[in-house]
Amino acid sequence: MTKLRIFRISPFVAALVSLGAISSLFAQDDDPEFAALQADAQKSFKDGVGPFAKKYCFQCHGNKKKKSGLNFEVALKNPGNPVYRKHWQQAVSSVKAFDMPPDDEDAIPTDEEREQFLKWIAKIKFLSPKDPGPYVIRRLTKVEYGNTLQDLFGIDSKVAEDLPDEVFGQGYLNNLSSLQSEQFLQIANAVLEQPQMQKLFENEKPAKGADFRKEARKFAESLARKSYRRPPSDAEVEVLLKVFDLARENQLDYAGALKLMTKAILVSPQFLFITPAKEVVTDKKIVPLDDWQLASRLSYLIWATIPDAELAGLAESGKLHELEILKAQAKRMIADPRSRALFDGFGAQWLGLNELETKTFDAEKFPLMTHEMRLAMYDEARLFFESIMREDQSVVRFVDSDYTFLNGTLAALYGMENTITGPEMRKVSLKDPNRGGILGMPAILATTSFPNRTSPVIRGVWVMEQLLGEEIPPAPANVPELEKQDEKVVANMTMRQRTELHVTNPTCANCHKVLDPIGFGLENFDAIGRWRDEDDSGGAIDAAGELPGGKKFTSPGELKAIIAERKTEMARNLTEKLLAYAICRQLEGYDEIVVDHLMETIEKNDYRMQTVITEIVTSYPFTQRRIKN
Amino acid sequence: MRKNTLIDRRTCLKAAGATLALPLMETMGWAESGKDKLPKPPVRLGFMYMPHGVLQDQFWPATPETYLSSPPPALESLRPVLDQCLMMKGISGVPISPFNGAPHALELSTWLTAILPDAPTRNRVNIAISADQVMANYVGGLTSLPSLELATMPQTHKENQEGLHEAYYSHCSYRSPTQAVPAETNPRSVLNRLFGATDKSGQFSKTDPLDRKMLDLVIGGARDLRKTLPQNDQHKLDEYLDSVRAVERRIASIETRQKEAALEKAGVSMSKRNASDSPPIEIKIPEGDKRSEYMQVMCDLNVLAFQTDTTRVSTYIGSTPNGVSYPELGFTDQHHSQTHHNHKDEEKMRKVAEITKFNIDQYAYMVNKMAKLREGDGTLLDNCIMMWGSGLEDGAKHSRENLPFIVAGKGGGSINTGRFLDKTKGNQGDLLMTLLACAGIPVDRPIGIATKEMGEMKS
Repeated sequence: MTKLRIFRISPFVAALVSLGAISSLFAQDDDPEFAALQADAQKSFKDGVGPFAKKYCFQCHGNKKKKSGLNFEVALKNPGNPVYRKHWQQAVSSVKAFDMPPDDEDAIPTDEEREQFLKWIAKIKFLSPKDPGPYVIRRLTKVEYGNTLQDLFGIDSKVAEDLPDEVFGQGYLNNLSSLQSEQFLQIANAVLEQPQMQKLFENEKPAKGADFRKEARKFAESLARKSYRRPPSDAEVEVLLKVFDLARENQLDYAGALKLMTKAILVSPQFLFITPAKEVVTDKKIVPLDDWQLASRLSYLIWATIPDAELAGLAESGKLHELEILKAQAKRMIADPRSRALFDGFGAQWLGLNELETKTFDAEKFPLMTHEMRLAMYDEARLFFESIMREDQSVVRFVDSDYTFLNGTLAALYGMENTITGPEMRKVSLKDPNRGGILGMPAILATTSFPNRTSPVIRGVWVMEQLLGEEIPPAPANVPELEKQDEKVVANMTMRQRTELHVTNPTCANCHKVLDPIGFGLENFDAIGRWRDEDDSGGAIDAAGELPGGKKFTSPGELKAIIAERKTEMARNLTEKLLAYAICRQLEGYDEIVVDHLMETIEKNDYRMQTVITEIVTSYPFTQRRIKN
Repeated sequence: MRKNTLIDRRTCLKAAGATLALPLMETMGWAESGKDKLPKPPVRLGFMYMPHGVLQDQFWPATPETYLSSPPPALESLRPVLDQCLMMKGISGVPISPFNGAPHALELSTWLTAILPDAPTRNRVNIAISADQVMANYVGGLTSLPSLELATMPQTHKENQEGLHEAYYSHCSYRSPTQAVPAETNPRSVLNRLFGATDKSGQFSKTDPLDRKMLDLVIGGARDLRKTLPQNDQHKLDEYLDSVRAVERRIASIETRQKEAALEKAGVSMSKRNASDSPPIEIKIPEGDKRSEYMQVMCDLNVLAFQTDTTRVSTYIGSTPNGVSYPELGFTDQHHSQTHHNHKDEEKMRKVAEITKFNIDQYAYMVNKMAKLREGDGTLLDNCIMMWGSGLEDGAKHSRENLPFIVAGKGGGSINTGRFLDKTKGNQGDLLMTLLACAGIPVDRPIGIATKEMGEMKS
């Protein structure tokens, strides 16, 4: 019997990766507190997980039988080895969901034993070596590349719009194909044809009798420093001068030679990738980022562009890595309008709004869903995110708030089109407790709907996964779909009544009893986020429900209040997602311990958004990198 | 907000003018053609994808005997070329355990690799070089583009299944196990890529004569940088070097073409093509935003790339496994949601049938066109292998037993077409191995789970 149940797998248990050989851990780790925790984790596996597994698991999943390819006898010899990641993952989900051991076994663990087992397994994070991850040199994303050109030369960042869109997610796809390289060259050509570039080169014309090559060197040093976001090495400047010489040998004038040199900069790996300032010569496996690298990392995180003069100055003087300075810089950058990049790059992705502009909606049913409406929806979410960030509000406000941003177009969805008119977005306070916060925000309500109707299930999954950080297993294939289970019975049902059929099927019930109530609580919002009292069937909306733990609600507003109480989960989820975005990779192993530490400070500061950000940019994996495997 | 949308793209294309002149076309031809006798055109291999499987009973011909006389409704538009197609039922896909929760993330990424992603590193891209890129490694150096990758939608879908990297959702082409190849979605960029940048009037702008030498110097500098970096970083820089070398080669080939065009203009015949070959097809960039027109111009570009021997291998992701709808068919329901019909919901099944037919129609548009273009002793299609298919058998069950696919073209005489073989035994890897073999690629190791070549396909 396989049942699907919802379980919280933290991303770490889901990704017990790169743990390396356990025996080598202790030598490299000089932190006595951490060493003690590691020893405790070892002990838990030896004295706790071992006997539990022997009693309940080995009979089918040991050296003899290895059912489903699981052998816990072997896994226990080296529990932190990534090879066994899946073993522990499956053990956690099956034991937690009461799927294992099977009901017909003689020995069944008590609820307390199950709970204890899960606690032991959770310690697996301490078996990971202290590791900030490699921070592989990374290519600028399409947006970063466009912004960088804009900030360097005053060119419209649209010049980059033909580049392929990035695949975002657990870090983005840090690859470079020949298609992209070709386009980088084409874009460089387009940039160099802009009038302001011609002017730039003409203005550089040295005085008569001046040493052209010497002047060209100055130009190269200065532009490379900005473009490479660090001082260029002598060898790097030499390469550029060779390009200058090449141009001169081919009878280009001085401006033409500078132009070719600039093109060389724009197709160089030092420009396209964020590279370290110098070679690190050391025996150490883990080193701090140099200040220039740190400046770029911070700047591309918050602004999606090159460091400004102040950041570069701090990198130059070698002070940026001091944690207080780093924090102060992050706060300064958040206050700057350019920090909207954090919404465009991270926030929109977190809330799932990247597909809003192109998502298909049934035009007959939703004539309001115009291009202007989609833009206004996006802007509402953006301005709301920015206000929480800039005003340093608690992240709980994402869910529970009493204001939003509207223009005339969007106000129609709020029933406020009589008072709010015109195209500009403005801050509006809300009296309706059902609105205010992302659960009542049209952009989110629309992206979690089908093109022609709402989906309580998708909304439920969205809240659980995006907001609370739970993992929902996908539905099995070939389960009866909702609409045609029994045509006669179903025909007159409301969406809620149809969806409730899930719970009559034991395969579906486990997950859906948690997911669906959340979606029901939001059924008053139609597929584009308008309020309604009846659904498409004409039946009245029943927004009442109960969440596990017995918390009851009767309206979206009450549901919102219940979710807003789950502060720790919400803040942790946001912190984990933002940290992963900041370090461009999925969190794994040791990162869980890092987040544990961050959460202490964040909690003390009432889950304020700026604390989340400053904690992340001063964290171990953000400021350090592993240079040897 | 993302700017590269279908609508935005359309707006910018409109400005570009409807038909683009292709002044250099006449000189394009086979690089290794003989002098006196008719040159034998090379075999070209193209793949076109649709997600979510098909309704089996509406896709497969009833019997081998009735294949040509009364094909199933889904294949109606292929009727003129069915004698140049081969269908085989019984090709199984890669079993996806331990990723059972990720049927859609894997249907596309296993399609041309015939293997699963590496489980311990599932959160990164780590799979295998795909069959098209295996071919590109052999013949890519003979043409100005090693391979061509096209897609209808930007490959940005984000959905995390089984902890697999999102790129698996939207990429079928892998240059190396860790390098997913992005596809072009903008027809105008594809045109530029194939034949060099054009200016607004549709004339070709000149390449910068110093670019290649400049790139040489930059590559030299990159090699110096590489030496100072840790190992992981060095791999990234290798990708960079690989891609920039490809750019150098592209510039070289465009320069050659431009020289040939100049000589041609001066009255020196440079053409390597046969006088009897069809002239290169015209590309009309659509003005509306109909999916069919958009897919057809991408198909045209594929045909043109093959016809002019600009590349010999291509992939076209006609649609990705995410929330694609087909408003042109009169409904907005998403493809995926309609496939979960459980074989009961007739309305959904009807919509799935329409979506399938729509996709096959676009493919048929392409191969029908290829069948009309003269090349050497026969047609362009005679010298190509154009495979259409899906990575699932049946979207309702997520099954992978009888993968739907159609092979059009005789592969230069290597494929015995005009048949439906209803009891084939083989897997996706076997199929890919055989296609590569028919394209003349000496494959020295199996593609994914392949165990054999399928002799029954061959002439």
